Amino acid sequence: MFISGSTDTADTDIRVGAMPTRRAARFSRRTRQTLLAYLLLSPAILYFSVYFFYPIGLEFWASLYSGQPLIGESRFAGLDNYVAALGDARVRQSLFVTLAFAIGVTAASIAIGLGLAVVLNRPIPGRTLIRAIIFFPYITSFVIVALMWQAILDPYTGILNSFLAELGLPTQNWLGDTSTALPTLIAITVWKDVGYAMLIYLSALQSIPSDFYDAASIDGATPTQQFRYLTWPLLTPTTLFIAVVSTISQLQELAPAYLITKGGPADATRFFSLHVFEAAFFELNIGYASALSFLMFLLILAITFVQFRLLNRETTY
Amino acid sequence: MSRYKSVGFLHGMVLGVALTTATAAYAETLTLYWNAGHAYQAYADAIAKFEADHPGWSVQWEKFQWPDMRTKLVADFAAKSPPDLVAEPGGWVQEFGQRNLLRPLNDFIEQDGKAIGYPDDWQAYSVERNKLGDQYYGVQIHLTCATLVYNVDMLKQAGFDTPPATWEEFLKVAKATTTGARFGFAPNPSIGYYSSWLLQNGVSYYDPKTNKVNLDSPEAIEAIQFLADLIHKEKAATKPAAGADYEGPQKLFTANRVAMIITGPWDVKPIRSGNPKLNWAVAPSLKHKVQATFAGGVSVMIPKDAKHPKEAWDLLKRLVALDTELAATKEAGMTMPRKSWAENAEVQADPVIGSFSKCLPYAQDVTAELRLTGKHARIEKRLQSALEDIIYNQKPAAEIMPKFAAEANVILANN
Repeated sequence: MFISGSTDTADTDIRVGAMPTRRAARFSRRTRQTLLAYLLLSPAILYFSVYFFYPIGLEFWASLYSGQPLIGESRFAGLDNYVAALGDARVRQSLFVTLAFAIGVTAASIAIGLGLAVVLNRPIPGRTLIRAIIFFPYITSFVIVALMWQAILDPYTGILNSFLAELGLPTQNWLGDTSTALPTLIAITVWKDVGYAMLIYLSALQSIPSDFYDAASIDGATPTQQFRYLTWPLLTPTTLFIAVVSTISQLQELAPAYLITKGGPADATRFFSLHVFEAAFFELNIGYASALSFLMFLLILAITFVQFRLLNRETTY
Repeated sequence: MSRYKSVGFLHGMVLGVALTTATAAYAETLTLYWNAGHAYQAYADAIAKFEADHPGWSVQWEKFQWPDMRTKLVADFAAKSPPDLVAEPGGWVQEFGQRNLLRPLNDFIEQDGKAIGYPDDWQAYSVERNKLGDQYYGVQIHLTCATLVYNVDMLKQAGFDTPPATWEEFLKVAKATTTGARFGFAPNPSIGYYSSWLLQNGVSYYDPKTNKVNLDSPEAIEAIQFLADLIHKEKAATKPAAGADYEGPQKLFTANRVAMIITGPWDVKPIRSGNPKLNWAVAPSLKHKVQATFAGGVSVMIPKDAKHPKEAWDLLKRLVALDTELAATKEAGMTMPRKSWAENAEVQADPVIGSFSKCLPYAQDVTAELRLTGKHARIEKRLQSALEDIIYNQKPAAEIMPKFAAEANVILANN
């Protein structure tokens, strides 16, 4: 296959493949351009077909079967798996836990990430190093993060409780108490991911022209007023972007629950994705797990739709 | 580089590529999935001998933690490309065998059974747990049980020269050895460990005649409440961290922070290597209504779609050979399923291994009958949640266990 064309005129003659001139003449220029566009897009189409569309299709197919579709015997069950999923109290509870986790992580990441970005956007000494230190956990594997925090939070040998005991404060079984386990996972995830939010906010802050602040200063605006009436409105698209991307990402999160708490204690950190994972790989209830996954897919699709609606709005300030 | 050197170098490159290609063309790889904690030198030696006896063959020895191995294996089954030989932690043989994912081993056993002593030289229940009807789907390679392990010095300091034998004695020792940052007992958060208390109170997990779980019985409730009270009421046991792996209590024990734990031979090597000076011993299992404990262990199985079942069987025979068993015992303190292993003089003379092996006759395979329903995994997850509700949330066992049993029985009743 080769692509040839003259570049000296706007009316570029592009031929796809070694087609005879007469055959090429049968296609209009618009058709040839469309064909070329599809040809150039074909690697991406192939990639998405193999790794996204085919698995989604396969998952939907499996969700219509009971038993062990994909690995063993199965029988057509129609929408039974979906009906069972919607009536399952454990599914509702895991969805509630997941939403609480996603909202908690997203809200805290935005608040802390923005605060850090505002501080580190100023000319303070060592800011590059501080930014790198804050960003470093984001590029660290969650396996390492999990092992580290499990050691730190161990109720009997962990450094955090030793520190609290030294200060005369009460110690905690951070991961062994249903009231603290989920907030602890949220805190660990925020610690890991806040560098990403900070980086995006820093980039957005640096794109705001300094003239705006100069004009505001001349008008007598205090730093707080400048932030409230200038910086914050101008950062709205960035905030929306982080909010939506983070929410979608956290809704699919498996690692904190799987690696740190195994969903416990007493299902207090049982994420939806962990529920799906266990239904598929431990219970071998693959049809049911597929239905759960497809429901999550629809939920994320809905959130993505909202994302597009929100991001397409004109920002006013 | 001179012209001759260049030509020589090129010839060498061509020859190297040709040899590599030729070797690759004839090389065969046998894939073996193994538990990361069981990668003993004894097995490495058996694998090396297999490779030496089969020129052109190499063994790809892949090591995982059990949950990760299961994830990989299920994905392999879906992709129709499973490994040739797989170790499993108990229960998978029947589970996957029922789903027609394993290769029956009857023809191999008919051919080699006498020579290797299978099944006659194996403890009877270690054979049964690897069968479905008349079909053999796996061979037991480790046979273990958990029992009481105690810190001799901590007990002596508290005035006890002998380990406890009953729940009442155990409670006394646990309370007496709890001082400051040290605890009398560290319970294991993994679900299997709860069963020793249930078994000692005469509870059977599941009744195949009624197709119901028995964990709402007064005996089951008493057993679980005893453990919860030990943590919260008596303050004589640690409260485990959620999600902590099964090694947590062993680490505290090795660090001289708890007087007693319940564990099996898998923790012998970590305790010995973690704290060689620790003065510890193995006690017979506790008794309440009966003296009992749970049996564990590892089997090996060949997937139905394995590419090299004959070679996998050959390697399996080497891994379960008596010499390999004895070498693994010497190296890691692991207990084994062969009767001839239990009769071995060296095994009997070892105070630690000998004590563990004495528990094997009264050890029980707790979930053997429930596994045959094919619903074991679904029920286990619910049981874990129920037990955590009692242990972590301090809810009464009398309230939680009947709820769990009702939920489990619905799962069992539904097709």
